[in-house]
Amino acid sequence: MSARARVRLSLVGALRGVAASPVTSAVATATIALCLLLAGAFALLLTNMEQVLTRFGEQVHVSAYLDDGLAQVEQEQLLARVRGAAGVESVTLVSKEAALERFRASPFGRASLLDGLDDNPLPASLEIVLVPEARNRGGVEALVASLGGVPGIGELGYGHEWVEGYARAVGAVRGLALAIGAVLALATLLIVANTIRLSIYARRDEIEILRLVGAGRVFVATPFLLEGLLEGALGGGLALGTLALGFRAARAVLGGGLELLLGYAEPAFFGLGGALALLGAGAALGLVGSAAAMTMLRVARP
Amino acid sequence: MARWGADPAPGGSGGLVRLYHVSKAYLAGSWALRDVSLELEKGEIAFVTGPSGAGKSTLMRLMFAAERPSEGQILLLGRNLGRLGPVGIAQLRRRIGVVFQDFKLLHRRTVEDNVGVTLDVMGVPGPERKARVFAMLKRVGLQHRRHQHPLSLSGGEQQRLALARALVNDPEVLLADEPTGNLDPELTLEIMDLIASVAARGTAVFVATHDHALVDRYGKRRLRLEAGRLVEDVRLGRP
Repeated sequence: MSARARVRLSLVGALRGVAASPVTSAVATATIALCLLLAGAFALLLTNMEQVLTRFGEQVHVSAYLDDGLAQVEQEQLLARVRGAAGVESVTLVSKEAALERFRASPFGRASLLDGLDDNPLPASLEIVLVPEARNRGGVEALVASLGGVPGIGELGYGHEWVEGYARAVGAVRGLALAIGAVLALATLLIVANTIRLSIYARRDEIEILRLVGAGRVFVATPFLLEGLLEGALGGGLALGTLALGFRAARAVLGGGLELLLGYAEPAFFGLGGALALLGAGAALGLVGSAAAMTMLRVARP
Repeated sequence: MARWGADPAPGGSGGLVRLYHVSKAYLAGSWALRDVSLELEKGEIAFVTGPSGAGKSTLMRLMFAAERPSEGQILLLGRNLGRLGPVGIAQLRRRIGVVFQDFKLLHRRTVEDNVGVTLDVMGVPGPERKARVFAMLKRVGLQHRRHQHPLSLSGGEQQRLALARALVNDPEVLLADEPTGNLDPELTLEIMDLIASVAARGTAVFVATHDHALVDRYGKRRLRLEAGRLVEDVRLGRP
């Protein structure tokens, strides 16, 4: 028998299994769908939270205050030099005049404070935004060290506490995501394995007969593994569809409120990669759940 | 040839089934089978008789490695069952046929698939599978029922289906537990003629039965078990 014929035989066996116990198969699929719906909703929330954190992260910046008296050309040379430094994403030159305008426009800026001064006391500066990987204490300090002593740069300023707070927030969210993800995955696996175990148990007579006519482990196990894979992928698809509908409904009902919750970030659904990951997770859960269930029932023994 | 439970010569040739001092206890000290030694040759039909609980089914279960003996050794087709792993046992089962007293049919599959499953396990390609299944069903008179499911068959038809599944792989050894228990006298003779023809082509046949008339008619060898012991092993004349 060719490998193709064997695969077809196993696939027929898997579909026959689904057809033979439709209720159990539906329960297994629904269980996987529900578990993945929870996990997917969490992943979706996390993806959007990451967006918020990314926006916050953009505010982690270093200000390089320039010496007074630098010519425009010298300022632009410094701008080009800083742009080329490691860990720098973008640099904006803020002139003395622009700094004054900002100060006046800010809640702290009162025209009266500057009334007694003849000259503009605010220095020109370079506002440096770091690449996401460098938005931490180490990255900021490395940049400050590399720019310290550069002629024309008088002082370097950055929000020390803000940088550390941001790094802590990112670490906490990612740690929480890992912990909750691991717990969810384990719980889902156990539920799925037990549900599929019921499906296999319902067909124990068939398994016994297959063994008695000389079926090997692979022959007996493959249809059940494929069945788990199919149910898992279907469950993943159902979860994805439900999440998409839920997401659309949430946007329609909450409107701008959703963006407000996300710190004015545009709410985003899974991309192709995320959608495929959810389907793959479902298929993998079904497969591993089937394997675990068969191990529990010692299906492959002679 | 061994008589009355005497030792078959270890290492001898010819026996497709060989049991050496085989005992089986499900509970400590409670023996379902006790010190049974026998040998079954190619083309030989042996009937094992005895009252219920004498150990007939246990003997058969040991012979197709559904259970392992508590003591002694079993050689099936030259392979020591005690030394075989799961893969070896599965491979060996593809060379034997077993008819179970309760048939053990796949009720969710068609008659055709119930017979074909044996060939699927062996990896027989589709067209050959179809031809062999049809030929086998024709031999037991079920070809017109091939698209139906076992539960729509009568008891006798289910028994013939079980026999068809056991024979479709041209087994070297056939183990049959009450293969005619649900058949009327006419069908019984047809099925036993079929089993005899299988034996005539070289298959060693081991039949557990309560039907003494069957033993008298077809029996070339009669084994009798009582309380787990082999108390009689006689060869009879050809029918």
